[in-house]
Amino acid sequence: MNNREKERYLREYSILKSQGKPFFPYAILKDSVMAIITLVVIILMALILGAELGPKADPTTTTYTPRPEWYFFFLFELLRVVKPPALVFLATVGIPTVCMVLLILLPFIDRNPERHPLKRPIATFTGITIIIAMAYLTLEGALAGPPTAIDLKTTAQYERGKNVAASSGCLGCHRIGENGNSGPGPDLTDIGSQLQKEAIARTLINPTAPMPSFSKLRESNPKQFNELVNYLGSLKGE
Amino acid sequence: MKLLPGPLRRRGNKDDDEKKPNGNGNGATTALRRPNAPDETAKEREKEAGRERLKKTAVEVPVAALGWVDERTGGGPFLRGFLFRKVPKGTNWYYTLGSATMFAFLSQAVTGIFLAMYYRPSATEAYASVQHINDEVFLGLLVRGMHKWGATVMVILIFLHMGRTFFFGAYKYPRELNWIIGVVLLILTMVMALTGYLLPFDQRSFWATVVAANITGTGPIMGPYLADFLRGGAEFGATTLSRFYAIHMLLIPGLIAALIGAHLFLVAKLGTTAPPWLKAEKARDLSQEEI
Amino acid sequence: MTRVPVLTVKCRPQFVFPPFLTPSSNVADSSKRKKKKSPYTADRGMIGAFEGETVTRRALFSGGAAAAGGVATAAFALPALGFAIGPLFSQQNPRTLQDVGPEADFNPQTYVPKVISISTDVGDVGKTTIYVRKFDPARDTDKLNQPYVVVSTRCAHAGCPVRYVQAAQRFICPCHGGVYDFDGKVSGGPPVRPLDRFDSKVVNGRVLVGMRFSLDSDLGRHKPRDPGQHLDGLWQYIYPSRPTT
Repeated sequence: MNNREKERYLREYSILKSQGKPFFPYAILKDSVMAIITLVVIILMALILGAELGPKADPTTTTYTPRPEWYFFFLFELLRVVKPPALVFLATVGIPTVCMVLLILLPFIDRNPERHPLKRPIATFTGITIIIAMAYLTLEGALAGPPTAIDLKTTAQYERGKNVAASSGCLGCHRIGENGNSGPGPDLTDIGSQLQKEAIARTLINPTAPMPSFSKLRESNPKQFNELVNYLGSLKGE
Repeated sequence: MKLLPGPLRRRGNKDDDEKKPNGNGNGATTALRRPNAPDETAKEREKEAGRERLKKTAVEVPVAALGWVDERTGGGPFLRGFLFRKVPKGTNWYYTLGSATMFAFLSQAVTGIFLAMYYRPSATEAYASVQHINDEVFLGLLVRGMHKWGATVMVILIFLHMGRTFFFGAYKYPRELNWIIGVVLLILTMVMALTGYLLPFDQRSFWATVVAANITGTGPIMGPYLADFLRGGAEFGATTLSRFYAIHMLLIPGLIAALIGAHLFLVAKLGTTAPPWLKAEKARDLSQEEI
Repeated sequence: MTRVPVLTVKCRPQFVFPPFLTPSSNVADSSKRKKKKSPYTADRGMIGAFEGETVTRRALFSGGAAAAGGVATAAFALPALGFAIGPLFSQQNPRTLQDVGPEADFNPQTYVPKVISISTDVGDVGKTTIYVRKFDPARDTDKLNQPYVVVSTRCAHAGCPVRYVQAAQRFICPCHGGVYDFDGKVSGGPPVRPLDRFDSKVVNGRVLVGMRFSLDSDLGRHKPRDPGQHLDGLWQYIYPSRPTT
């Protein structure tokens, strides 16, 4: 902003200020009401939602699914989304640091004297985009489940097969419904309509690398193997 | 009664005290308003006068106390300027988000102090002390719940406040420094959330902190040393919890308090912006001058 | 001793030279340029200078106050800094080898979980789970010279606890989608290097586990690193090892 724009703003501001009301009691009243609302909300949340303590910290666990607090879910989801190992430090420190620096330098990047949101379209558009992106990442982070739980509903006859699939590590590389990782293996939500059961069984025994072979499972527990094949064959998408 | 400015001085009251023997209004009207006046005994009149004296003292004493402080600090003009400054036309409820955030911070500070009286910051005793707070301490569960959900509320409010400031263009001239202080406050709040999260020392706390420390370690060159600094060593050890406790209790609240002071000072000095859709109605002659 | 610069006023028309840098007029005069500034305040034209004085009283006291302030600041800042940074340079606990069981407990086909302690003064929090299997000369091609393959459960992406899934013979991380194969090498997801391992030794028929070490993607041995730090490719150069390990 050049000097003329600065002076113009200051003149306009002083007019608007002189037409305003005194801080006490008008603004203080609004602030006090808001403070009371904040306090009431905090107390209500504490009473209704409680403060449960989880199990004690145990670094030897092999069954726990670590998750951050909800306001860090967007960073957590960013770490899940950036899959190539070479880009990992971008997701962990690169992008957050760059965003923080841009945020601090915002008044120097945006020198447009306009303040009305509709008259500064770039700023408004960027702001809304970032808000939507963060909200989306937070939501996705909240929905990301452990690699041993399949939420997709199935009929009772395939329930056992679903448990075999959940505990065999399939979700580590495949997606089934909302669960699992979207790589390196293909999405299995619809696999039943793409492959016959025999083809599914063949793939399990003789897979394409890097998928592991489940022939050992067939040898040690053929019943479970068949349940797994039947379950996968039933996945015909919604 | 010079301390009370115009809007607060009771109309016609104080000045009339000097002139009339009775406390309220002029004597003639009082006489007319009190139909029992001729039947009143001297005793009742004395009681009435006593009550009037009490009322006067009740107002005079605190005012005199304030005057005593003002004489020694010279704070009267500052307070008057701060309290009775004008806020621009059109100030609406969006502008309360900032002070709501500060109030949430104060709530966290107070509940935090009460929790600190029972918490034991040792890796072997922390979990047990938090269980003790939950189960045995009077209102412990409520205070801990307030502190836990207060963190969520504060984070939500601070983001809403930042969004309001962004969309109203309130970070532009002359409020750039205020915005910078605000972003630093945002970062400090998130660090508070991170360090405080470890303190209950349950599974979720522990693993979230392990991941957070390792994420710090992925920064180029300085990363491994920063991660070590945060953890107090190569592995999660005895000093890690103490470090997080010291950072959460002492270092960052001090910084936040100082920066809130600076932030509020700038807000009072520069004033809050008017909503951007409001245009000043200029006097005719002013707009002639501009052209 | 500053030399008088040889800039002419023409090059920098707006620059005003301070008095002691005013260039000598026109001709390059070597004797004038080489004249040193006298150390005596009397010669420098200071008001109130007396014979033989080189440092004014004001300069002495200002410098002395600055030096004393510096010493005072250092006196509390340096120990505090050392206190905070010290752990970086302290030796890792020279742990004794830990016994995890007799040789008969382990086999080359599958991993057996065991618990060892990696931090000594924090009780339960200092323990971690490891997966142990016997080295199989028929299929294992690494050159690490370890009798047992002892794999750490610390994911090499951000440190979450991986679990071994027997049916798929894979290590799966519950956090961000990392998957490792039977040897601990990355088979999918964001982890940047294979899972760390621990030294192993067999004494009197018992398997003993020692210190941690990290691997690059060819299973070459390196000093232990934190998760998320690459050991091959371009990025290995930005992650130095700790000075004490």
